[in-house]
Amino acid sequence: MRENFLVVENVSKSFGGVKAISNVSFSLSGNSLLGIIGPNGAGKTTLINIITGFIKPDSGRVIFKGDDITGLPGYKIAEKGIARTFQIVRPFLHLPAYKNLIIPLYSKRVKSFRGGRFGDRDTVAIDLLEEVGFERDSSVPYKSASSLPHGYLKRLELARCLALQPELLILDELFSGMSMSEVAATVPIIEKLKAEGLTLIMIEHRLRELFRIADKVIVLNFGEKIAEGKPSEVIENELVKVAYLGAESA
Amino acid sequence: MLTGIIVYGLVNSSILLLVALGFCLTFGVSRIANFAHGAIYILFGYLMWIFLNWLKIPFLFAILLTLVLSGIFGYVAYYVAVRRVRGIVLSEVVSTFALGVGILEFFRWMGFVTYEFSLPPIKKGSLYILGFPIDYQRLIIILAAIGLVAFLYFFTHYTKLGLSFRAIAQNERTAIALGIDADRVAALSVAFGSAFASVASILVLPLGIISINSGYEALLIAIAVGIVGGLESIPGMILASLVLGFVQIVVGVYVSSAWVMVVYLLAIIVILVVMPSGLLGKFKELEERV
Repeated sequence: MRENFLVVENVSKSFGGVKAISNVSFSLSGNSLLGIIGPNGAGKTTLINIITGFIKPDSGRVIFKGDDITGLPGYKIAEKGIARTFQIVRPFLHLPAYKNLIIPLYSKRVKSFRGGRFGDRDTVAIDLLEEVGFERDSSVPYKSASSLPHGYLKRLELARCLALQPELLILDELFSGMSMSEVAATVPIIEKLKAEGLTLIMIEHRLRELFRIADKVIVLNFGEKIAEGKPSEVIENELVKVAYLGAESA
Repeated sequence: MLTGIIVYGLVNSSILLLVALGFCLTFGVSRIANFAHGAIYILFGYLMWIFLNWLKIPFLFAILLTLVLSGIFGYVAYYVAVRRVRGIVLSEVVSTFALGVGILEFFRWMGFVTYEFSLPPIKKGSLYILGFPIDYQRLIIILAAIGLVAFLYFFTHYTKLGLSFRAIAQNERTAIALGIDADRVAALSVAFGSAFASVASILVLPLGIISINSGYEALLIAIAVGIVGGLESIPGMILASLVLGFVQIVVGVYVSSAWVMVVYLLAIIVILVVMPSGLLGKFKELEERV
């Protein structure tokens, strides 16, 4: 494992008087899976927005593979190989599902596909959709994104990130809104991506699934990191219990 | 009479479409209502005139120069007039309208108001269609309108930049997360809008003289076509151009040519009251609640 694949150093961000993220640091080694958990409003998405360039931090640094990427515009960070999904799905609604993948497939990053010659982008897009569970021989990949059910849109977001051939993939509550069977089908996809060498960050409320696949978990509460460690350690942490369940039940 | 209405209705509709296309393209891609559109239309009419009459540049080369310069002008105008107020709709309108008024009134101040300011047609002469005379310039206008729409369709469906345009139009944040520079695409959308305006001025202005007021009128046309058709829908714009174009001709023939301008304003009011998203506009808000 490559150490310090992604380093977040003393990052803070306030909105008005509210400290959304307060002095958060962590590092992530290559080809690992980091889970970020915490109650609603803990600052998880803000942290992701800072890493992916959608929000500039007030202080602190984000270092990706040794390069300081703090405050770079979002599209440049995407070009460097950090792809993300959005908590609330943001498909290109008026494009067919597979055409949603064409835009990342045109990126400067994507020169060849899985080592082979590129060939036809539409075919590559359909291949990727099949990987995330779109039935290949059905009409589903060709339907307009606006007509797809939520679970498909979630996986469409995942496939669209994969089309960018990222080195770091950030999934913001990928499982939320998916059915049990969709989650069960998606977990092996994520494990396979990691086995292929991808580094992942997952924000997740489905702790059972997350703890099974995460190498490390950090816990945020009111913008501060209150715990960090292996899933089995974090689950026993008193502060985490308080944050999640309230003081009395701790 | 009927043949006349059909032929001139088509010509008039094509003119409206040509004038409005750039405005609607820019708005459709980046949600920027470029209120300098009419001024850009006139600016490049005058520049074309200056190229031909003062600098004695050959006709075809002058056209090329006008197209290129108008693109560059739009690109720069985005960074000068829009970028800092991006996302604040009213400020965008005020800023671009100020730019437009500045351009138009500058030419008035310079004295570009006499009858000598007119552009030559692409091809002189005329021919008969169904026994009805029509000059080549008007025929070229119809063909150009069809050609430009076809170009726009091909461009937005089969080129990387065109797809980026659609991506930004449909979801800016996602597009950024996938590596698209939203600012650059927005600047390019204004650039394309300006270039389309200059195409319109090269084709349409030879039908009359270049006048400051037609710059304001062009903006009105663009807004009317956009609102009636539904701003980001190309089929909607075509339909709106046809409806407005034919209604104007019919009104001109059967009522009075004084009422032709009123058609735009009435159409805007009626559409905003009856179907605010336009004839073929999409109810975006509804869909985005998914």
